[in-house]
Amino acid sequence: MLKVENVKKAFGPVTVLDGVNLTVNPGEVVSILGSSGSGKSTLIRCINGLEKLNAGKITVDDFDVSKPKELAEARKRSGTVFQLFNLYPHMTALQNITLAPIEVLKRPKAEAEAEGRSLLAQVGLGDRADAYPAQLSGGQRQRVGICRALAMKPRYLLLDEVTSALDPEMTSEVLDILAKLAKDGTTMVFVTHEIEFARQISNRIVFLEKGVLLVDLPTEKFFADDGGLAQPRVAQFLSKMRKD
Amino acid sequence: MRFAEFTPYDIVLLLQGLGVTVGLFLITSLIGLVIGVLWGIVRFYRVPVLMQVITFVAEVLKNSPVLVQLFLVFFGVPAFFKLNMTPVSAAVITLSLNTAAFVYVIAVSSIESIGRDQVEAARVFGLSRWQVLRHVIAPQAAAFSIGPLTALLVNQLQVTSLISVIGVLDLAKIGATLNLRTLKPFIVWTAVGILYYLAAKAVASLGAWAEKRLRAHSAFRGL
Ligand SMILES: Nc1ncnc2c1ncn2[C@@H]1O[C@H](COP(=O)(O)OP(=O)(O)O)[C@@H](O)[C@H]1O
Ligand SMILES: [Mg+2]
Repeated sequence: MLKVENVKKAFGPVTVLDGVNLTVNPGEVVSILGSSGSGKSTLIRCINGLEKLNAGKITVDDFDVSKPKELAEARKRSGTVFQLFNLYPHMTALQNITLAPIEVLKRPKAEAEAEGRSLLAQVGLGDRADAYPAQLSGGQRQRVGICRALAMKPRYLLLDEVTSALDPEMTSEVLDILAKLAKDGTTMVFVTHEIEFARQISNRIVFLEKGVLLVDLPTEKFFADDGGLAQPRVAQFLSKMRKD
Repeated sequence: MRFAEFTPYDIVLLLQGLGVTVGLFLITSLIGLVIGVLWGIVRFYRVPVLMQVITFVAEVLKNSPVLVQLFLVFFGVPAFFKLNMTPVSAAVITLSLNTAAFVYVIAVSSIESIGRDQVEAARVFGLSRWQVLRHVIAPQAAAFSIGPLTALLVNQLQVTSLISVIGVLDLAKIGATLNLRTLKPFIVWTAVGILYYLAAKAVASLGAWAEKRLRAHSAFRGL
């Protein structure tokens, strides 16, 4: 279980997360919606230990990310896919994928590479293993980013607007893969602006507004008039997103 | 001393001087590279106190004349600490530290040129600080720093000529000796100048070759 309890995070005088509570059970897909600047990325960065909490607690399978000794274990259990891919530019697609399994999990190189190749094949990049990031399109880079996270066999996949930097065609390349992962029962925390897609794959949808988790509802209920839509901010956000 | 014409043996003398210059240059560059990179690593780990000390020492070394540093090491340090110091040791110590200071600056800026996003990605996947340095930062920083390093080393080669003033028999000192003997400054200093030039060219070509290799390796950079 991934548990966010009463988390507060401020940058100087600016409070970005203000008492956030969120639980993600194994097998669930939870989408996080919210306008830009509402604190979605910060929440993800708190979960994977890139930001220190000001208050509250985050545990990944009972490993506390705020305790240096437990962070390593917590990080082994979650895999992050970044909005801007964050690939290592001096490494090939395959090397990007195998670096952490070899260095952190101490997997034998040949084994890690075989697995890396098979992951690449699954996302339709079987023939691009030796390409450098600069030689790949955005959609291909993000697919490598997903493989890199999956190679660590994480229990929780954290995805922060992974299609925001992509054009519609590349977006659908990537969403297809995520849909397949969701269908296979991968646990995901999915920050997105792709509302229709979130609706299709999520078990639950939460809505973040100015650092406060306003709504946390099963997907059906979130889009129901007497559910999420009863919240004026949610209704406003959804209608604005649909117009764009 | 009697004035005398050039003899074929003068060529041997010049080559010996060149050997001393190149030898000292290579040794002090190597030591300077190692120390400068180590200082850069200390800074990367933000080791308290040590990091401030290094920054201060590097500042002083960068911003004072090498000649003054050389006199301090050759005359000042032995007098103060009552120990012996040969010209060659003084030259090695001074030039190594001076090179280290500039290598440190290059190391720091190369490390800082690596995007934070990649480093964060590596950390999130559980790589230690050392593993991030070794696998993500160092290979890219090396490619980034090779240009400035080459420029630095070409300059440091010229700087070695300063050690002739404390009596090291380097190329410049041999030039001065030949000049006194023959009283033909134009020919002597032209010959010496050409030898320095050729040595500097060799350093620059080596740097260009290394850069080309590193870049071929890093076609990714799209440079
Ligand atoms: N490192 C930082 N320093 C200062 N302010 C930050 C930092 N990171 C994010 N913020 C601020 O926190 C707020 C939330 O940012 P973010 O979590 O990126 O929002 P979202 O991902 O929902 O668009 C924004 O106002 C942003 O400017
Ligand atoms: Mg964001």
